[in-house]
Amino acid sequence: MVNLTIDDKQVTAPKNATIYEAAKINGIKIPILCHDKKLKPFGACRMCLVEVEQMKGRQIPACTTPVTDGMIIRTSTPDIIKARKMVLELLLLNHPIDCPVCDKGGDCDLQNLTYEYQVNANRFSDEKFHHEIDYSNPLIERDMNRCVLCGKCARICDEIVSFGALTFISRGIETKIGCEFEGALNCEFCGSCVSVCPVGSLLARPFKYKARFWALTNHKSVCSYCGTGCNLTLGVKDNKVLTTVYDENQGFHNGQLCCRGRFGYQFINSDKRLTTPLVRKNGVLTEAGWDEALELVASRLKGSGASAAALSTPRLANEELVLFKKLMETAGSANYDHSAGYAHAALTEGFARSFGATASPATIPDIQKSDLLLVIKTDSYETHPVVGFEINMAVKNKGAKLNILSDKRGKLSKLPDATTLVHTPGCEVAVINAMAKAILDEKLAAGSAAAIPGYADLEKALAGFTPDAVAGQSGLSAAAIRQFATDYAKAGKALIIFPIGNAYPGHNADLASAVANLAILTGKFGEGSGVLCMAEKNNSQGAVDMGFYATSGLNAGQIIDGCASGAIKTLFIAGENPVVSYPNRAAVTAALDKVEFLVVSDLFMTETAAMADVVLPACSFAEKEGTFTSVDRRVQHIKPAIGKIGKSRTDFEIFGTLIAKLGGQAPATPAAVFGEIAASVPGYAGMSYASLGEVGAFAPVIVKATFVAPKAAVVEPVAGKLALVTGSVLYHNGTLSQFGEGPMYVCPEGYVELSRGDAAKLKIEENDLLNVASATGSTKLKARITPRMPEGVLFSPYHFGAAGINQVWSGAPVTWVTVTK
Amino acid sequence: MSEAVAQQAEEQETEVDLSIADKVIDKYIDLPGNLMPVLQGVQDAYGYIPRKVADHVAERLNVYPSQIYGVLTFYAQFHLKPRGRFIIRVCVGTACHVSGAPRIVETFFDKLHIGHAETTPDLRYTFEKVACLGACGMAPLAMVNDDTFGKMTVQRVDEIIAEYNKRPMK
Repeated sequence: MVNLTIDDKQVTAPKNATIYEAAKINGIKIPILCHDKKLKPFGACRMCLVEVEQMKGRQIPACTTPVTDGMIIRTSTPDIIKARKMVLELLLLNHPIDCPVCDKGGDCDLQNLTYEYQVNANRFSDEKFHHEIDYSNPLIERDMNRCVLCGKCARICDEIVSFGALTFISRGIETKIGCEFEGALNCEFCGSCVSVCPVGSLLARPFKYKARFWALTNHKSVCSYCGTGCNLTLGVKDNKVLTTVYDENQGFHNGQLCCRGRFGYQFINSDKRLTTPLVRKNGVLTEAGWDEALELVASRLKGSGASAAALSTPRLANEELVLFKKLMETAGSANYDHSAGYAHAALTEGFARSFGATASPATIPDIQKSDLLLVIKTDSYETHPVVGFEINMAVKNKGAKLNILSDKRGKLSKLPDATTLVHTPGCEVAVINAMAKAILDEKLAAGSAAAIPGYADLEKALAGFTPDAVAGQSGLSAAAIRQFATDYAKAGKALIIFPIGNAYPGHNADLASAVANLAILTGKFGEGSGVLCMAEKNNSQGAVDMGFYATSGLNAGQIIDGCASGAIKTLFIAGENPVVSYPNRAAVTAALDKVEFLVVSDLFMTETAAMADVVLPACSFAEKEGTFTSVDRRVQHIKPAIGKIGKSRTDFEIFGTLIAKLGGQAPATPAAVFGEIAASVPGYAGMSYASLGEVGAFAPVIVKATFVAPKAAVVEPVAGKLALVTGSVLYHNGTLSQFGEGPMYVCPEGYVELSRGDAAKLKIEENDLLNVASATGSTKLKARITPRMPEGVLFSPYHFGAAGINQVWSGAPVTWVTVTK
Repeated sequence: MSEAVAQQAEEQETEVDLSIADKVIDKYIDLPGNLMPVLQGVQDAYGYIPRKVADHVAERLNVYPSQIYGVLTFYAQFHLKPRGRFIIRVCVGTACHVSGAPRIVETFFDKLHIGHAETTPDLRYTFEKVACLGACGMAPLAMVNDDTFGKMTVQRVDEIIAEYNKRPMK
């Protein structure tokens, strides 16, 4: 800490603080335009000029000048105010000053500072800019006429997003912000540039002319797409969520969001929302009252026992999942599950046996504290983009080493000093086992490892996984595998990150145990270390914590089979869309066709809901209260931001009413259920809505380490066929994002991605319609030719109903397919 | 923007031999801070920097394409359009201006049917006004590649063009 004087006030500040930061900590406001706490100091706008007594005669930018002991700073002398006024006059010189029609009005730093400094006239005059406005994409409007060249957009796109879409073009008075060759913006559309723009140069188009900024009521919430648990602020007017509002002080991510988080909110007030219960009458879904619909469901569930089953989306709140489980138990059935039954196995089986806990012994904030990140699949960026930002920052700002093990290259591979080992699809578990073997062979294991249960079995089982043996099948060199093992073992703090989800069947219990073995062998736990298993949906971790998966009953796959065989007669699906998101669409559709009675509660008439006998309109996250648990077990409280849409009811109310109709007793409020959760779920003890507050709380994970003898399924190549791997695309999460306009603008349909080499061999060009066929079925998808794919491997995202890849994909980690034009 | 877009469209048509760029890139690939030498090298090789080459450099060097464009537009030494075999520079600095440089510029425009920073369709000439060539004693001054023409007159414009029309293109 250093002592200094700011505006005649004795203050202290950390010794690495800038003058701006020191003032801010001590409640003294210095105006800024180009500075952002998330970005490196830049010093472009000169609004933050201050006087420092020791540097007499000069005006010093507060945002780039570090404090020193004894500094005497004045932030608002008449000279300084005069200088700032002139800065504003110069900034306004070429600016169009079109505030009345600018969407930034009321939230504009330039406007606010002009007002604050009373710049009511300009001593200078010059021509206005005549830059063409970029309307080429539906999400981000770029009007460079309003730009003050603070560079925040270009800097955030580089420093945090690491995409680099925007840059300074030209020089001097002609300088402007733009893309390569002055082309249209063609990026990830995360909107980070929009969020930090201090003026109206970068605007969110979906919100244009929807409301003035000051007419919005802001509601804090949590994003309902992936499991990262990003905090959102919803901008609400007239019971409509009109936008997401950037708040740089919100969450571990400082308000950073991805495309779906920022631009995917439209599903909440979508015209397509279900607004009334529907009951199938004479084969047609017909509007019905809640009483009629719920009575019908209750009569089917009552006493149904093991012939009833439930599938839930892990998007429901913890409280709702607890009630759903209670409903099934009241009906006498233990058949309930989520996420296709296998997508949670890494946690519920893998970590359960390796760590004695069904959660990750690491948190997202550990990423930036780590020395080495071992990432399994470059898809980790696409599945959890804001975690991807954390990885970018760890690598670019904190100097963490990034080692990636993947079946294809990806955005993460482009980070400085990232090493990507591209292995044959389906070989990741074998490669990780080989790393464990190399750690043992090179005596890099922690001294205490031998005392951990299962060590002898591990040693024995790893004999079959020498790097040389695995090298052949994985397509990697034994030396590369050994290097990865050495890097991991020798790093001071090392964190393993991998995604799980419906589209990643290979990221199973074996993978979880294999990476757990690595961490246990080398004792890589604690701050900046551990293993972070990133579950797909906003409350996937919560669904596991609430025990909403098969323990004594049937799992999701068996439930689908049971529907097909007739063993399951009543199926209650809440929010899940198995027709699209489970593998083998034909089999799932046949099974749902066969089941006697299908109830679906959902926001939309999904492909699955369309097959139901009763459809119940449910509420979105913006209309209900409850808690979501993120991948790193941060429990966060959400509250209603808008009233319920139409006659929709929350799943909490639906399950509660049904439990009562079955003669059971359900707690009346989510808070009461959360009380039960706090009393019964390990790690949640002591939590309450009041204690969670705005920032939430981590449910701690206590590791009881055990080595698990590794297994690895061997993927046998099929001659003449290509290996299809499924996954998530950056803009989508599950099937819900199909109802978000933003994600659908950027990525409206499925596609199949292939290498340049395969494209040349098969004479395929970009956007050619390809017939992709496997033993399971076939579909037609557009071709995308990218340099990141290795030859012989195809990638296809799984989110889409139309031409869905689950017509081809068998549910195996690798599906062997043929591709024809 | 429209001009750049039109240029892009034009370039889509023409094939660019990227192996020439690869040779330059291979030479500097392990050098830290290799962007400038690579861009200078490829400009020497192609005479200018075609879009496809810029994109290729971006991919090979793992630099954002936008960053490359930023560099290309920042430095006057880089050219994004094909350049003429002969670069005619006419000084319009103070000394040349008062000795009649504007009329010399106009005469070149008329004779060559191109404007400032433009290139004749046959790629023989590129014309540029420059602020000062540093030889005010010879004002008004013109240069064609490295040849200097001091005390320029409107009449000598025809002679210069006639002379360089005779020179071979390679």
